[in-house]
Amino acid sequence: MSTEHATAKAAAHTHPGHGLSEKGLKAGSVGLIGAVVIGVSCIAPAYTLTAALGPTVSEVGVHLPAIFLVGFIPMLLVAFGYRELNNAMPDAGTSFTWASRAFGPWLGWMGGWGLIAATIIVLSNLAAVAVDFFYLMLAQLFGNPELADLTTNLPLNIATTLVFIALACWISYRGMETTKTVQYVLVAFQLLVLGWFAVAAFSHVANGTAFDATAIAPDWFNPFAVESFSAFAAGVSLSIFIYWGWDVTLTMNEETRNPKKTPGRAATVTVLVIVIIYMTVALSTLAFAGIGTEGLGAGNPENQGSIFAVLAGPVMGPFAILMSLAILSSSAASLQSTFVSPARTLLSMGHYKALPHKFGKISPSYKSPSYATIASAVAAAAFYVITRTLSENALWDTITALGMMICFYYGITALACVWFFRAEAFSGAHAFFFKFLAPLLGGVILLVMFVKTAYDSMDPEYGSGSSIGGLGLVFILGMGVILLGVVLMLVMAKLRPEFFKGQVLTRGQ
Amino acid sequence: MRYVVGYSANARGRDAVNLAVSLARGRGASLDLVVAIPDAGPFNAAHAPAAGYDSYLHQQAGEWLDEALALIPSDVPAKAHVRSGESDAQTLIDACDEFGADMLIIGATSNGLFKRFTVGSVASALLHAATVPVALAPHGYHRRDALTRVSCGLGDRPGAEELLEFAVSMAANRQVPLRVVSLLTLDAGDSDEAADAARDYARKHLAAALPAGAAGVPSAKADVVVAQGRSVEEAVDRLDWEDGEVLLIGSSRLARSRSIFLGSTANRILRALPVPMIVVPSDYELKHLNHSTSNDTSREAQA
Repeated sequence: MSTEHATAKAAAHTHPGHGLSEKGLKAGSVGLIGAVVIGVSCIAPAYTLTAALGPTVSEVGVHLPAIFLVGFIPMLLVAFGYRELNNAMPDAGTSFTWASRAFGPWLGWMGGWGLIAATIIVLSNLAAVAVDFFYLMLAQLFGNPELADLTTNLPLNIATTLVFIALACWISYRGMETTKTVQYVLVAFQLLVLGWFAVAAFSHVANGTAFDATAIAPDWFNPFAVESFSAFAAGVSLSIFIYWGWDVTLTMNEETRNPKKTPGRAATVTVLVIVIIYMTVALSTLAFAGIGTEGLGAGNPENQGSIFAVLAGPVMGPFAILMSLAILSSSAASLQSTFVSPARTLLSMGHYKALPHKFGKISPSYKSPSYATIASAVAAAAFYVITRTLSENALWDTITALGMMICFYYGITALACVWFFRAEAFSGAHAFFFKFLAPLLGGVILLVMFVKTAYDSMDPEYGSGSSIGGLGLVFILGMGVILLGVVLMLVMAKLRPEFFKGQVLTRGQ
Repeated sequence: MRYVVGYSANARGRDAVNLAVSLARGRGASLDLVVAIPDAGPFNAAHAPAAGYDSYLHQQAGEWLDEALALIPSDVPAKAHVRSGESDAQTLIDACDEFGADMLIIGATSNGLFKRFTVGSVASALLHAATVPVALAPHGYHRRDALTRVSCGLGDRPGAEELLEFAVSMAANRQVPLRVVSLLTLDAGDSDEAADAARDYARKHLAAALPAGAAGVPSAKADVVVAQGRSVEEAVDRLDWEDGEVLLIGSSRLARSRSIFLGSTANRILRALPVPMIVVPSDYELKHLNHSTSNDTSREAQA
């Protein structure tokens, strides 16, 4: 005993380096089905459909299925580049870090800002959708339709939404995570309810009880039949949103049981599942409700913000409460997990001195990005309050602005991939396609969509038709957010010039 | 002797480090500071790959540990480790296994505004599952000198004997007096009788636990105290506590063998206690007794 102590003391006070453990992700814990569940839950189809289906119909009418299919192409092309960047430079800052390494600090900063803005906007939209279905579910539960109208009471709506955001922020701050079982149940429930909706809608059509039975035509699948390029661009930038999150399946590596095969297969299966469910629901909605602008029509501006809130009742009858439950649960789960994205990017920007130091803080108790998480919640709350007070249809306009923002930062990210890997672009067929051609095409398509949508949205009639000083609200929201980014960037360059002199994150490989 | 210290870069973590230094000094133990970081759950779907954040966490944990090591005086050997797992509590328990630790030391809470001990969620989880004694530093604990007295809370339930033996050895190894504490909650009236009964009970057990003739605690240095109050908290308040004292408590009989489950009485003691508390798993001493016959010598209670 005593000798044992002596040696322990003799070897003592050198304080050797920390015995760092290997990367925290448990290797091989996720199989194919698990990875597909993760992919589907990232996309949150019940939420994306209720949020995006209406606005997309208002742009492209019956060509909704075509646009949903076409919208996947740029997402796929960009995701290839995203995967290459993630493999070469895995970093929590993602677009910010990658664009900084490729293009230098200024574009990198704006890439990060685009990502943060997009995720902040989706946070406020998720919370708002959750609130709508929360009140709708209360109404269904107590058989009192007046309860559903509470969500149109502006102060009450804003207050409830802020409570939802605060709750999700608190859960995320505490570092709590959705578990495997919960995620499986949520995803299975969503798919089941969406399937139920589609079957119920088609049987109404078959029984002649549909609101505006519309025969499905091959023309619906023809993207070139969309009447104008403006409508096409708007539709594509909206449908980017419905696939947003799918890229996550491609970036899973160590955590899968077979890192060589699982991510690719999971991405393929996920997109098949998603496309099938989107097509079925889109076709059944159009077949049941048509695109008329009256009553239950999918073209009715009243229905654009959240289509299932209107259609679930007439289509599913007493079981409509399941739809409310599915959307409420999936959007609440997404709300909490989406907080991770802007928080980590803000943390990364704080870490690399592109933002004030406090953004880089990690909570000693919960090991979460403390300051950045709270900052994200405050920003999401502020964005919602502003949009809600200015817009006639806040959900609709935020989704349109969101599509624009995703095009912006995905476009920058894709081109960052092309530029970063330019030296090896022609070193082989694989590199040429995945590091050069695919991201180049995807990036250019998205940036074109971005510019076109931004230009069109200046029209005061764009989106829900809200406008300020003769400019469309969507334009003001989108450009306002980007301009705010530029201003903040200039302020930061004044305050902490190191990053902007390229001294922190260096360019090139 | 190795003690694992569950460190976090806040007041709670500093409480734990101070207590660890104090405990190590009386026993020549070395410290293993562990920062537990959470495994990124892949099922928490997010638009951000988890791997990147993990490297920030490791880097940050390394910086925290550097700060923590700087707090430790040079006469106490210490190493720092980053470990990850699903929950902080499980990570610390695994670390105790990995290092063959004799004790786990944590800060009980960082925001005990009204009570000295408001057990935080990690501490609470540990108290339900740890397989080694868990030392809880009260809020604002700043003492770093060796212990001056060991107190042992004695109940009348099975396991009391083993706990007392553990306490006797601990006091003997550290050459400090032992005090056996009986806490009584009584209505006025029969209190004297009950106190006498408790005192006799404690004396009897203490006598049984004191090593016969061998180098142990001189019986003069072992004291028996009965504290009374209308509540457990009041009884604890009425006792005098030295700054350099700790209270040993056995875990509840609800505990699985060799793990800790804090009973309701222990929980109430914790709320009123001004000194650190060490919770000993049920059957922990039995293991040590079995080992002592085979001359295994590395446990806290061992001579």
